[in-house]
Amino acid sequence: MDVIVPPIPEAYDEYRATLQAFISAHKPALTWKQRTGVRVPDSAADIALLRRYVRDLHEAGYRLDRFSVSSERGDPHEQRILEQELGAAGVPYILGNPLVAGALRYFGTDEQRAAYFPPMARGEHIWTQLFSEPDAGSDLTSLQTRATMVDDEYVVVGQKVWSTWAQWADYGYLLARTEPVEGAGGITAFILDMRSPGVDVRPLREMTGTTDFNEVFFDEVRIPAANIIGAPGEGWRVAGASLAEERTGVGSAGGGGGNDPGQRLVRLARRTRRQGRPAIEDGAVRQQIGDLAARSRIQRHLGQRIATKAMRGQITPADAPIAKIWFSELNLQTTEAALALLGPRSMAVEGDELAEEDGRWQDAFLYARAWTIAGGSNEIMRNLIAERGLGLPREPRGQAQSESPSPS
Amino acid sequence: MDFGFSEDQELLRATTRRFLTAHQSLADVRLSVEEPDVFDPAVWRQGAELGWTAMLIPPECEGGSVTAQPLVDLVVLGEELGRTLNPGPFVPCNVVAGAIARFGTPAQVERYLPGLARGEVTAAWCLSGDGTPEPGAVEVRARPLGDTEGWALDGVARYVQAAQNASVLLVVATGPDGSVCQVLVPRPSAGLSERTLTGLDVTRRFAEVRFEGVTVPAANLLAGGQDTVDHCISLATVLQSAESVGAAELMFEATVDYLKKRVQFGRTIGSFQAIKHRLADLVLQVEAMRVAAHYAALAFGDGLDDAAEAVATAGSYVDDTFACICGEALQLHGGIGFTWEHDVHLFTRRAKVNQVLYGDGAWHRERLVRLIEHTVEG
Repeated sequence: MDVIVPPIPEAYDEYRATLQAFISAHKPALTWKQRTGVRVPDSAADIALLRRYVRDLHEAGYRLDRFSVSSERGDPHEQRILEQELGAAGVPYILGNPLVAGALRYFGTDEQRAAYFPPMARGEHIWTQLFSEPDAGSDLTSLQTRATMVDDEYVVVGQKVWSTWAQWADYGYLLARTEPVEGAGGITAFILDMRSPGVDVRPLREMTGTTDFNEVFFDEVRIPAANIIGAPGEGWRVAGASLAEERTGVGSAGGGGGNDPGQRLVRLARRTRRQGRPAIEDGAVRQQIGDLAARSRIQRHLGQRIATKAMRGQITPADAPIAKIWFSELNLQTTEAALALLGPRSMAVEGDELAEEDGRWQDAFLYARAWTIAGGSNEIMRNLIAERGLGLPREPRGQAQSESPSPS
Repeated sequence: MDFGFSEDQELLRATTRRFLTAHQSLADVRLSVEEPDVFDPAVWRQGAELGWTAMLIPPECEGGSVTAQPLVDLVVLGEELGRTLNPGPFVPCNVVAGAIARFGTPAQVERYLPGLARGEVTAAWCLSGDGTPEPGAVEVRARPLGDTEGWALDGVARYVQAAQNASVLLVVATGPDGSVCQVLVPRPSAGLSERTLTGLDVTRRFAEVRFEGVTVPAANLLAGGQDTVDHCISLATVLQSAESVGAAELMFEATVDYLKKRVQFGRTIGSFQAIKHRLADLVLQVEAMRVAAHYAALAFGDGLDDAAEAVATAGSYVDDTFACICGEALQLHGGIGFTWEHDVHLFTRRAKVNQVLYGDGAWHRERLVRLIEHTVEG
């Protein structure tokens, strides 16, 4: 795998052109608008259209390696072009939360991989992640959703929150407590059929005004024992492995496409004014853009470094938290800078004719806190860096003894 | 291509660290700070045998790199030299060697590079009158000497690193038409003088270099004009960034060690979350410095499409962050860090000087924005 990606040879221009034509012929016209972040369509009709689009892509041979059952890999240039063009199309091309793919790849059985990867790749199965709970956020190992063995089946009772895609999900990647021990050792990972009786999904509206997360309630939901990923009590390791796989990819893809933060801010600063002149002529504005652009490039290099370490088997516990904090805080600061550049015009949001870029910056600003909080809040990430990376003493624990707050 | 150091480069790192521990440790450097000169020619010659000045010099001139990425080899060396605040002219020698290797005539290459590779001579780079890389700041003028085909230099260059030991100066000058050129000036030369500054960074020496009718033959001109200056600025930025990375890394490690040992209120102060989170931020900063410097070397050395952006990114981030890390190190050490005996001030001084040498952070950020502007239509 190339971490510093070589230029794509011209021989691939035709592949790209064919793909572009395919996308424009098959891309669905959604009523829903794609916004920055992990955002979820809000109508069943759009979901149906997207399932068909993903199936069409798959049938035409446009397939991402991440859902491949075998270890066979596609042509790396084609894979890059695929990610670039599908991303640029502006509609989702991976339906659901794909985190379970890493879990199945490393801990699943051959039968599980054969059963679940192909439908994920074809857009038939939408997945959601069922990790966080109202009382188990940063301290995820204290989760209390319980799965009790009754006649070869597990019976699940409890509640999850912050699950993206759950309102449309066919399957859930569930962490529940099966073992009679507190903390990480008692947790097991499951595949849950979201259509099982007793599953109740309630969409949550967030500060963005959109509905991208859900609460999920389980009232004696039955799961066959064969749906365990890994072994009973191994759920924490399973979750850690899938999160690590997910996080190592962050930032290595690279910018390009004219959409890196530096380019976006330069465009914005050309259109807005400071002291009666275009903002791009203002020295303080230029310094701020330069700073954010430099740190945005460094984000890419941090990702390249982590990808290299992963290939060499040199990942340390601090690597993923470093990338996560860097990205989420830079992202927040970039959106704040954009709002400041907009000045009073930042008051007008999506739907108002005065809104700049149909309110993308305000939405991105509001959504930015999802990144600083989700996936392990940045405070937890800092604890991890200090404790696991530097070997500093652990934070004192309360009565509910839990392990180091690794994955979430 | 991946983005890590190779086994050979790690070997180079280990060898360099062992050598410095034995021959020019931080404790050794500290002993020299109040001496008039900090340069140790014997150590420098031994260092040259380990490749300190050889990487950018071709093998036929007694140079040679460890890998096919000589600038990344130099990053490894720079980091190690930076860790101990090495006083040697690592940056200027490699900048001048790199410029001659890249732009020099066969005669220039033959005359200067073998001595630099062996460490028998050192070089200094006279950039401008105020230390900034702005073309308008150049205060040395070159005028043609009628029919003798030579040049006369008049003016001054300031904040020149290691000038007092150099055998050759690479001097940025403006010609009669206002264009910028670079000229090689042997030292000593008639009309050439320098005054060593009383400096903030006590581990290095900087000078004000005066040119009063210094004559050099036309053959001493480095062909290429402003391009050669830009090349040197990029080299200097990358190499100094590498030194800053190593120095910041050591300062950070020393701080973590101290906070694991220092006990107040009956606990090691490193167990307080307020402290842990600050250290976590330093981890981020050190790692970001590392990748910024490394990628800049890789991109500039290999001539990647984004080489200029990569160098500007390192220049924007690395030295300012080094200074920031020293500030945190000082604060977290508390009173002991405020003493002359402690090393924190030596690093702080180095950092404050690196921040303003070869283009400060603001200069590089402006450069980065200009580069981005070229990529955005309209």
